[in-house]
Amino acid sequence: MASNKKILLKVVILGDSGVGKTSLMNQYITKKFSNQYKATIGADFLTKELIVDDRAVTMQIWDTAGQERFQSLGVAFYRGADCCVLVFDVTAPNTFKSLDSWRDEFLIQASPREPENFPFVLLGNKVDLEPRGISTKRAQQWCQSKNNIPYFETSAKEALNVEQAFQCIARNALSQQNQNDDLYNEFPDQIKLSQPSKSSGSGDSCAC
Amino acid sequence: MWDDDVHLKHQTLLRDLKSTVEGLLSSQVANVWYIYGGLNRLHVDVVKIFKHGCTITQTGNESDYWRFIKGLQWLQPNTSNSSFSIDCEYRSHLPHTIKEDRASTWLYRCLENHSLSQKLSWLLSDQSHLLSCYHSKAFLCQKDYAEATLICLRAVERNQPSLISEIKPHLFLLPSKEYHRNHRRCSSFPDAHLRDNSTRKTYQSFDLTLPKCDEIKTKDTQRIVVKLRTWKSLPDMHRSSVKIATRVRHNTECRSSPVTPIRIIGNEKVSPSLLKVDYDSLQKKVPKKSTLKRPNKTQKSKRVLIDNCNIIEHTQSAPKAVTKTKVSSSAPEYSFLSFVSGEKDYTKKPKKTFIEDGGMSVLPMATGFFPRPLKGQSLTSFLMSSQFTRANAELDRENAHFNISEAVISAMEQIKCGKVCSDEHQEESDEEINQLKQRIRLRRRMKIVEEQKQTSWGGSSLLSDGKTDTTTEASPASMSSSTDTYSGSISSEENVFDLEIDKASNLSDIMELSMSMASLYSEADIMKRTREAPDGASDALSAEGVALTLISKFSEKQLPRASDLVWLVSEEDAPQALLPLPKSWPVSPDDCDELVTSLRGTMEWAPPRPQVIFTLHPIVSRNDLIAKQNYRCAGCGMRVAKQYASKFRYCNYLGRFFCTGCHSNQLSIIPARIIQNWNFKRFIVSNFSYRLLEQMYTDPLFRVFELNRKLMNNKAMKTCRMFREGLSYLKDFILTCRFADTIQDYLKNERSYLLSDPDVYSMEDLVKVKTGEMRVKFKFIAEMCSKHVYECQLCLARGFICEICKKNDLLFPWRMGSVSRCKKCGCCFHITCWKESDDLPCRRCTRFGRRRASIDNANPAP
Repeated sequence: MASNKKILLKVVILGDSGVGKTSLMNQYITKKFSNQYKATIGADFLTKELIVDDRAVTMQIWDTAGQERFQSLGVAFYRGADCCVLVFDVTAPNTFKSLDSWRDEFLIQASPREPENFPFVLLGNKVDLEPRGISTKRAQQWCQSKNNIPYFETSAKEALNVEQAFQCIARNALSQQNQNDDLYNEFPDQIKLSQPSKSSGSGDSCAC
Repeated sequence: MWDDDVHLKHQTLLRDLKSTVEGLLSSQVANVWYIYGGLNRLHVDVVKIFKHGCTITQTGNESDYWRFIKGLQWLQPNTSNSSFSIDCEYRSHLPHTIKEDRASTWLYRCLENHSLSQKLSWLLSDQSHLLSCYHSKAFLCQKDYAEATLICLRAVERNQPSLISEIKPHLFLLPSKEYHRNHRRCSSFPDAHLRDNSTRKTYQSFDLTLPKCDEIKTKDTQRIVVKLRTWKSLPDMHRSSVKIATRVRHNTECRSSPVTPIRIIGNEKVSPSLLKVDYDSLQKKVPKKSTLKRPNKTQKSKRVLIDNCNIIEHTQSAPKAVTKTKVSSSAPEYSFLSFVSGEKDYTKKPKKTFIEDGGMSVLPMATGFFPRPLKGQSLTSFLMSSQFTRANAELDRENAHFNISEAVISAMEQIKCGKVCSDEHQEESDEEINQLKQRIRLRRRMKIVEEQKQTSWGGSSLLSDGKTDTTTEASPASMSSSTDTYSGSISSEENVFDLEIDKASNLSDIMELSMSMASLYSEADIMKRTREAPDGASDALSAEGVALTLISKFSEKQLPRASDLVWLVSEEDAPQALLPLPKSWPVSPDDCDELVTSLRGTMEWAPPRPQVIFTLHPIVSRNDLIAKQNYRCAGCGMRVAKQYASKFRYCNYLGRFFCTGCHSNQLSIIPARIIQNWNFKRFIVSNFSYRLLEQMYTDPLFRVFELNRKLMNNKAMKTCRMFREGLSYLKDFILTCRFADTIQDYLKNERSYLLSDPDVYSMEDLVKVKTGEMRVKFKFIAEMCSKHVYECQLCLARGFICEICKKNDLLFPWRMGSVSRCKKCGCCFHITCWKESDDLPCRRCTRFGRRRASIDNANPAP
């Protein structure tokens, strides 16, 4: 049954700004890297077709940033995610410290059924840069404390470990997918049916 | 001097015609014939002109000039036939005096149907016909006078009084003072005039002197003879009669080609340069020349002054403005432009909005501002300084004329005085003057030689002579001695000085009024002068512009320093230090050079400031308020006697009384009344307020709900507010969505505050709220945006999920009825799950706060 259906894996990349979320995604999907920093506005996704465990899957990677600039934008896309990628910058300890908060936030907003078993992957990016702020050991300790999260040290710039990391992410996502209902896919239909009428009266609803 | 009488007769005829025409046109009615007796008066004048110098004797009841008119039958057969069969019904209202006279009736009818100028020009175009009917001394044979007649007729036909000014002013001068330099067309006509216009014997006697000439040539030769007479005291005048003959033939040939007798004078609009010229002529020529015989000139000056006023935008067009506004007030239309009147001056420049320049471009009628020269600043540079070139208040600009003219007069006096002193001691000191003197002498000598040549040639017209130059020649005494001006007018120092002043006057001035002056300069010289005339002054008619033209011909070193002159405006008139002026004022980088504070006033009065007024003025009784204003107009500071204060008009925007000059009862909506009372009626405001309000009309200046919370209950405002708030959220989704290009473009065309700042309104917006236009527009935009959001995967993914109930319900901040939103973090909840008014901070904010605290505790700063 599952093999007939096209599998969509939804992956959300989280982390402080400037740690290289967009660069990692671009490196993985387009094999390109740019030294220029450009803040991501809002959230956006890219998709990639790949084979995981002999199964063709479509991986939808959600890159997030700048949410704080647009407060009216929400994070409903956390819902239905199959895997969450946490990224920090190995040269910037603060980005490592906020990992907890990112993880908590994700679990709250996505509200998966089994939060403790939800697949996370930790990426320590920018390993090509010196000096290291966070040692491999410290990162691994943190991963162990969170139910053995897989940890990769990557460099988006030099394409180091990026492929492997995303293979792992895809595999974890797929395993989660198998257990999950397709929550997200229920969304659009449900909304399309019900919301537009409400929308036309952002007015009506307020006609108090 | 016997031909002066003929000339006088010509002048009388022309003057009569012109004054009749002026009388007709001055009343400015659509059809001049509505003026009672107007047609008859003009008819009488025209008949006199047609009769003058006619050679055909009257037969029966047929007028002598009928043959002349009949010439039309073969000159313009196709057009004229109809007019010759005079309809009987026309006779019914003809004055009985002319009923029996065909020619007179014809004239009457042509005048009535506005065709006489055309027909007359046809008649005049054929010289042989003209001369077969008239003496060469007849009025119509004088090309200049004929031309003037046509101008008058045309002025009546087109109802354009301005055309009259095209009449050459020298026609009203005595022949000895005629200037022909620039009138090439006159060359074929006799300039000398017979003393006796009526006795045909005189003509015949002339004919006798040259019996061989045929009819056409007669005129020319006669003229030459006359010329010779006037110039008989000069030697060598009678030689080479052969040359005369050839010349005459040449002239005749030239004229046989069909020339349109009159140049086209069509432009109703008077060019600024012409105005400027006339202005100068008014300033300088009038007092100089004898005032006896220049009705035309004075008339012209008058006209110019009127035009002048038009240009310096007079806002006292009160009745007009009122009627206009009244008309538009009935229509449900709130556009300002619909009742702008007489605001030309302000539309010229690309307009800045109120927000851009703080209303500084809206000038009150007066600010009492007059720039002060810097120590040691030269007069020219002072007049050209940016303090003048920037736009000053209207009355200040007018007052500047007084101040500057006074200064220029005193500057001239100083020069004159200095000149007299220096001449006594060092005659050859000023190189420029010496050069000029030398040049004048040379030119005069050359002129005389040329004259002699031309006269002897028979080219009689170009008789520009040194004799009519300057003040000395204007005296009647000089006329008799004018023949020997050669030595006499090689002038004294004083003459040179006068010339200098003359030079400063304008080109057309020179051309029209002192042709002989112009003869001193080459054509190129004159052309150059016109072009440089305004001398960098912003406006040729402005006080400083005029002053610059006046002083431009003096060398800089001659002129006294601006700071040495006594200016009429003193510190006492405008005690700036005493005025409460803002310490700092936003100045755009472009305006850095204009750091002079422009707000002035007096002890009792300060010019109105460009304010935004949100609140209603307290109701004060008229008398109290006017008394509080010291019986001064709030706009210009003009003081009136108590009994006239009743003429003051209330400005509903500024809450002050203004004089009728500063307040022309223009109507405007008042922001305070809209915001406080939701009253969109228009109230009378001062001109200053009107322009200010117009300028701020589209500026988002009003946070209406902060100014009046009650407006939230206004239904129209409430709906609009809801849509705008919703849109302010929606636009974040749209502008960051890569699938919404078209809507993005649409939104970018909107003014940004409309989307980003939902509580800010401009006057225009408020009017649109009132009319419902705003609601329709924003409803459309909101629906378009929300439609996109609910169909876009990306936008949907950016919705919120209530983290309290965690239901699978997408929340968007614009669903204000069911969604509550934390203003701090922007997080959305079901309104049933959390409300801002619950006084509980939203969960997310609490969480973030806790987390931040724990991070700070766990890692005290390393």
